[in-house]
Amino acid sequence: MGEEKKLSTKKNILFCILSLIVLCVLLFPLFWIFITSLKTEQEIFQYPPTFYPHKLNLKSYAAQIETGDFNMFRAFANSFVISFGAMLIAVVLAVPASYAIARYRFAGRKAMLLGFLVTQMLPVSVLLTPMFIMFKGMHVYNTWGSAVLADATLGIPFSVLILKNYFASIPKELEEAAYIDGCGRLQAFLKVLVPVAKSGIVVCAIFSFLYSWGDLAYGMTFILNQQKRPITAGIFNFMGQYGTRWSYLTAFAIVTIIPVALIFIFMQKYIIAGMTSGAVKG
Amino acid sequence: MKGLRKFFKYDNVGLLFALPAFLYMLVFVGYPILSNIVLSVQDVTVRNLAKGVKKFIGLQNYAVLFQDEVFRLTIVNTLKFTVYSLLFQFLIGFALAVFFNQNFSLAKPIRGLLMIPWMIPMTITALIFKFMFSTDVGIINYLLQSIGLIRENIEWLTNPGIALGCVIFANVWIGIPFNTILLSTGLTTIPQELYESAAIDGANSIQRFFKITLPLLRSTIESVLVLGFIYTFKCYDLVYVMTSGGPVNSTHLMSTYSYKLSFEMFDYSKGSAAANVLLVILMIVGAVYLKITMKGEND
Repeated sequence: MGEEKKLSTKKNILFCILSLIVLCVLLFPLFWIFITSLKTEQEIFQYPPTFYPHKLNLKSYAAQIETGDFNMFRAFANSFVISFGAMLIAVVLAVPASYAIARYRFAGRKAMLLGFLVTQMLPVSVLLTPMFIMFKGMHVYNTWGSAVLADATLGIPFSVLILKNYFASIPKELEEAAYIDGCGRLQAFLKVLVPVAKSGIVVCAIFSFLYSWGDLAYGMTFILNQQKRPITAGIFNFMGQYGTRWSYLTAFAIVTIIPVALIFIFMQKYIIAGMTSGAVKG
Repeated sequence: MKGLRKFFKYDNVGLLFALPAFLYMLVFVGYPILSNIVLSVQDVTVRNLAKGVKKFIGLQNYAVLFQDEVFRLTIVNTLKFTVYSLLFQFLIGFALAVFFNQNFSLAKPIRGLLMIPWMIPMTITALIFKFMFSTDVGIINYLLQSIGLIRENIEWLTNPGIALGCVIFANVWIGIPFNTILLSTGLTTIPQELYESAAIDGANSIQRFFKITLPLLRSTIESVLVLGFIYTFKCYDLVYVMTSGGPVNSTHLMSTYSYKLSFEMFDYSKGSAAANVLLVILMIVGAVYLKITMKGEND
């Protein structure tokens, strides 16, 4: 990059307008469900459709707190607990593993790396039935634990592969200086390397969280208890029962997107970093 | 004890750091893969699951599966879904990547915002498009009518002939950001001087695209397409939520059908067999990806 050509003012304005049009077209679906979630059921079915709520209706959100067959906010909390738990497991396990893979040529290193790469490509349906039988045996079936354990398997391989590049880019001298100062391997790792790799760890934490947040298959298959289900499974259920209550459904959708949007707003640079380094070889 | 100490003295100390994650994956992923293979050559359904008697029946599940017309249809559907999704994601993503690599003032912030669809849970994306494609309240029917393209509302998701197209449409929307951002990153690695000297030599912009951009972007394009194939081929939630495989199986993919066999018909063994067929195809494509990725690891 570096020295890029500057565009002429006219071209600049033209391109800016074009890009705004692209943005509006591509993000229209999100705008549309947000608007819909603020309409009354009547207005949703009105023809021609209205492009902003003529009568502001917040009931779709409020109704969920009090009653409802599907308590959106409880499901939200379930999702949060599950995603946070899976994220913790993924980060705690992946950080040391990626450090080892980046720094040490130990026996079985390549096989391990291959293993992490392969698990990233697995279809969820291969794991569902055996996990289902296993979790029944472990007595975590129908609890948050089952989804946490399963969701962590999404974050671990991704995190290992991303973080190994971060650790590999930290100069060896930094670590050696720590050894000279009398640190052991573990101490040097925790006190010197982990803080330096912090931004990489944030990327992993975000993605591990988002993978679990978006999970449907695990949460739906391993947790049948409506009180404990994540929000994605709850919404799917609700769609099956009341397929056309679009005012509620769009409100659920917006609530589910909120954490994603917040993460995006505050941590955009980490997300772009994760998306790009996740696929390009390091 | 001494031998153990010596073993871990140098590089093998790495094992101690790596083992917890590896063992975790071995227990929760490695073991399920193996047990899925075992399950697929047994006869396990909801009726005999609790009894613990697992009859070995060899490859019978696979044989039945390949006789099953619906399963054969899901193979075709999965291929169509993957190829069309990839084609449009890639072309649109590439066009956007080239566009946003022009150095205009809004380029970076807007390209950033375009990443949002990729982060939204698939369940929600499916819900959004199910709503937009619905026959009576759907905005898509309204828009097409108001510009005069159609006269009557189209039954997008209940017509077996076009439902798969709608699902692909939604999946393209999800995949565009991924393609855009990876190709953008690839584009920034091409030195600007190459274009300048080519321009001096009299190459026009189309020639520059085909003679400079495409060849230099080859490895990025390879990994985008292979990764895209893997993600799309195993896609599950989008279709399951949007259509549940219907109408009349016209949108069933191998992944959704395998789920249906296991968890709606409770024929665990047949579901496992279907999942394994999916896995084999993925692994063949995955081998290409591994070749690309492991290239740098041969030291």
